[in-house]
Amino acid sequence: MVLELGKGALVLDDMKNVSIRIGEVVEEEEEWAPMGPTPMPSIATLRDWDFFLLRRYKPFYAPYCDMCCLCTMGKCDLTGNKRGACGIDLAAQTGRIVTIAVAMGTTCHTGHARHMLHDIEHVTGKKLSEIPVDLGPEIAEVAPLTQLITGIKPKTLEDLRKALEYVEEQITQVMDAVHTGQEGSYLDFESKAFHLGMMDALGKEIADIAQICAFNLPKGESNQPLIEVGMGVIDRSKAVVLVIGHHAPPAFNIADYIEGNGLENEVELAGICCTAHDTTRYYEKAKIVGSLGRQLKAIRAGIADVIVIDEQCIRADILYHTRKLGIPVICTNEKAMHGLPDFTKKDPKEAVKYLLAGNAGCVILDPLKVGEVAVEVARARRKQRSEDFKPVLSEEEFMNYAKACTQCGNCTMACPQGIRIGEAMEAAEKGDRSKLEEKWDICIACGRCEQVCPRNIPIIDMLNFAAWNRLINEKGKVRRGRGPVRDSEIRNVGAPIVLGTIPGIIAIVGCSNYPNGTKDAYTVMNEFASRNFIVVTTGCMAMDAGLYKDEEGLTVYEKYPDNFDGGCVANLGSCVANAHIHGAAIKVARIFAKRNIRANFEEIADYILNRVGACGLAWGAYSQKAASIATGVNRLGIPVVVGPHGSKYRRAFLGRPYNDEDWMVWDVRTGEKVRIEPAPQDLLVAAETIEEAIPLMAKLCFRPNDTTQGRSVKLTHYIDLSLKYLNRMPDDWHLFVRTEADLPLAKKEELLKILEDKYGWKIDWSKKKIIEGPIRSYHAGFNPTNLERCLRDGFMTV
Amino acid sequence: MAKALEQPFDVANIPGPKTATLLEKGKPVANMIKKAKRPLLIVGPDITDGMFERIKKFVEKDSITVVATGSAIKKFIEAGLEDRVRYAVLHELTNFLLDPNWPGFDGKGNYDLVLMIGSIYYHGSQMLAAIKNFAPHIRALAIDRYYHPNAAMSFGNLWRKEEEYLKLLDEIVAEL
Repeated sequence: MVLELGKGALVLDDMKNVSIRIGEVVEEEEEWAPMGPTPMPSIATLRDWDFFLLRRYKPFYAPYCDMCCLCTMGKCDLTGNKRGACGIDLAAQTGRIVTIAVAMGTTCHTGHARHMLHDIEHVTGKKLSEIPVDLGPEIAEVAPLTQLITGIKPKTLEDLRKALEYVEEQITQVMDAVHTGQEGSYLDFESKAFHLGMMDALGKEIADIAQICAFNLPKGESNQPLIEVGMGVIDRSKAVVLVIGHHAPPAFNIADYIEGNGLENEVELAGICCTAHDTTRYYEKAKIVGSLGRQLKAIRAGIADVIVIDEQCIRADILYHTRKLGIPVICTNEKAMHGLPDFTKKDPKEAVKYLLAGNAGCVILDPLKVGEVAVEVARARRKQRSEDFKPVLSEEEFMNYAKACTQCGNCTMACPQGIRIGEAMEAAEKGDRSKLEEKWDICIACGRCEQVCPRNIPIIDMLNFAAWNRLINEKGKVRRGRGPVRDSEIRNVGAPIVLGTIPGIIAIVGCSNYPNGTKDAYTVMNEFASRNFIVVTTGCMAMDAGLYKDEEGLTVYEKYPDNFDGGCVANLGSCVANAHIHGAAIKVARIFAKRNIRANFEEIADYILNRVGACGLAWGAYSQKAASIATGVNRLGIPVVVGPHGSKYRRAFLGRPYNDEDWMVWDVRTGEKVRIEPAPQDLLVAAETIEEAIPLMAKLCFRPNDTTQGRSVKLTHYIDLSLKYLNRMPDDWHLFVRTEADLPLAKKEELLKILEDKYGWKIDWSKKKIIEGPIRSYHAGFNPTNLERCLRDGFMTV
Repeated sequence: MAKALEQPFDVANIPGPKTATLLEKGKPVANMIKKAKRPLLIVGPDITDGMFERIKKFVEKDSITVVATGSAIKKFIEAGLEDRVRYAVLHELTNFLLDPNWPGFDGKGNYDLVLMIGSIYYHGSQMLAAIKNFAPHIRALAIDRYYHPNAAMSFGNLWRKEEEYLKLLDEIVAEL
């Protein structure tokens, strides 16, 4: 009920035993932009947009399993797209499993955000409404995803909490829909997965902006300090605290304890996975041991005196390994407690005593208590060991294990990479350790090989032993995560991105389940930055790229500045900082094109799909979070390339360039439908090798709105990269030629000749003009949209 | 007829009740190629020199369209065979294969028999799963060194028996 009071006085006389409760005080929001059509969309609100995407990029299903095992009417065999007992067919079931995976990823980021808000109130002692969303003078467009999706422009963290509540409701509604006997269409499952992907993006933005504002992490400033990264950067003369996971407030407390007690010269704080990125954003002296793929190698190498885990990407068997080495583990997050006793309410000194008594670990859920316990345990354990850092196996043990190998092949058939471990063991037995050493980096340290070895050979330790020199000398640099992209940067690059003269934004993100080791991360980053693409990065790939150096001994982070600009490499931070990549694309629409981004998702996604040449790369994606991240950027119109393991996500979005009806767009200028080139051809695609991925990414930066100058720049890179990495001209480059002005100037005649000879185009050689051949002609006023509403009503600008 | 059993190369990769029939001879493969209206050989990057020698013979015999995926194309270019093989991104190619209306590499239509060799194992397995479940117009054979459960028929795990494996490839080539 709403009681509205006008002018005058409200007098409440002689009222006794009457209580007046005032619920939420709703302040009238400043009208910062007109409200768009879709504030806080529910599952069905953006379905039309999804169905447009799903028509053009029809879901491609490669089931991981042909059965459904979810209800008691099953198991059901769905092979050949048969229907099961509930009526679902394999396509819908695969869409359903994809939706569930995306939900897992989304809940992870959203749960993280919720946990962050709780921890912020607890750690800072402030109410969320007392903490402003202030990202500095150069960021007026704060939280672009929150604006775009909810219509809220947050002023305080309390506003973010409201947005988070909305996300949580949407997740619940979609998870409801995956129950047996609900949704039956694969297209609607994919629409729901898109919805969750969008929620995932919003959850990430809330988590990262909240931690930036509450803990004063970098607010998008460039020229961030270089952080040491690698297995070899840990100073073992100090007590070593190793943090693993994604939720950094406990690690912040460790840093506070170190600084507060002047222990910087005595205690080393290092991390694995995203919590490492975020720890360095808070405490510059922290180091990064490495990405997820280094986790088991680092644990088993015995680098740490104490391990502190929070949430996500932590090995489920961490205690199995740490127990053997006597390393205590502190669990700081209720999502991962590993069966350990809870010491949260006890005096930290009791926890220290308990951990030093040889117990495997304990739970401490109060981040304010973690610092003391972790640091004091590490200091005490440091006193009990020498400074030497040696392999856990002796030379004799190594040789005995190498001899013990019977070449049964079980390890290779258990290995996700199919590594020929037996061959390397045989070579090691004969004195050649190079094969094992070589495999150390390609091995993602999953440990499956050890589970099936009939001789119980500790294969990870064998790899660490053989590669020990490499391990202790693995020393690289990575820029500290800088957070969001500044409005001023968008002002500089907005036009070049949309017109195509900056050939693209390359977002290198995700996990480290690479097909062929970590160096690919460096190769791809270096290649695109050297070609004036804008390279942004987050998470594990950002770390792995920093492990390699060029001929002059420079990492990509030393070679290129960390601006959001052509020819730069900007590390934005942890996985949740991915939201700033979406944010940058949205801000191009807002700042460059003056589009209204308030509650206007479809229009902005349509803008990005047609105009912003961006492409993501998640070369080692392994997690459900990576699935939700990719699905979220896909809904926003940004394609993603994944490594070959990525096809195990079961669903891709692949275009059919030969199918005219898939590539029709409206030209707002004429009101006519136009057949465009397949740009971008796919929204989610796996490449087999990095040599294939690089030209593919260049191709996925084409956009129908490119100017001729922009298109010729993009064609130059597409052709060059194909020649460089695949030794050949691409087969489909001609599809992207609309006019002779699209052709790279230096190769114009040569390419015109190929167009004439190979593709049968008609060329007027006297004027060097294309007369006939292209899919469409070029017009500078071409104004593409896939939304009928925009054709009818025009675009919403501010 | 009872089916011979083999373990997937990636042992946990058991898709469901339908798994590939084990092929232990090369000749039936050659017969299927000969009988097919539109056969296609997909060659991925995971190939040894010995395998490539045999694959070149497939190209020379000209009885099957050959497409290289991933960086496998570089081997063909080095061998001077660029004009006789096609190139595709395997994921995109498989998507086209699922569409009965795909005009094929030559505009003459989709393929009815697909042979796969040298694809990155786990990725190739997923592509075969897509064909098995969603391309009833195609029969897929894995003639790789590994048992591929998602194919209709597959060679066994011969990754440690190269000679034995190459003999199978020779048998196919001899019959073409």
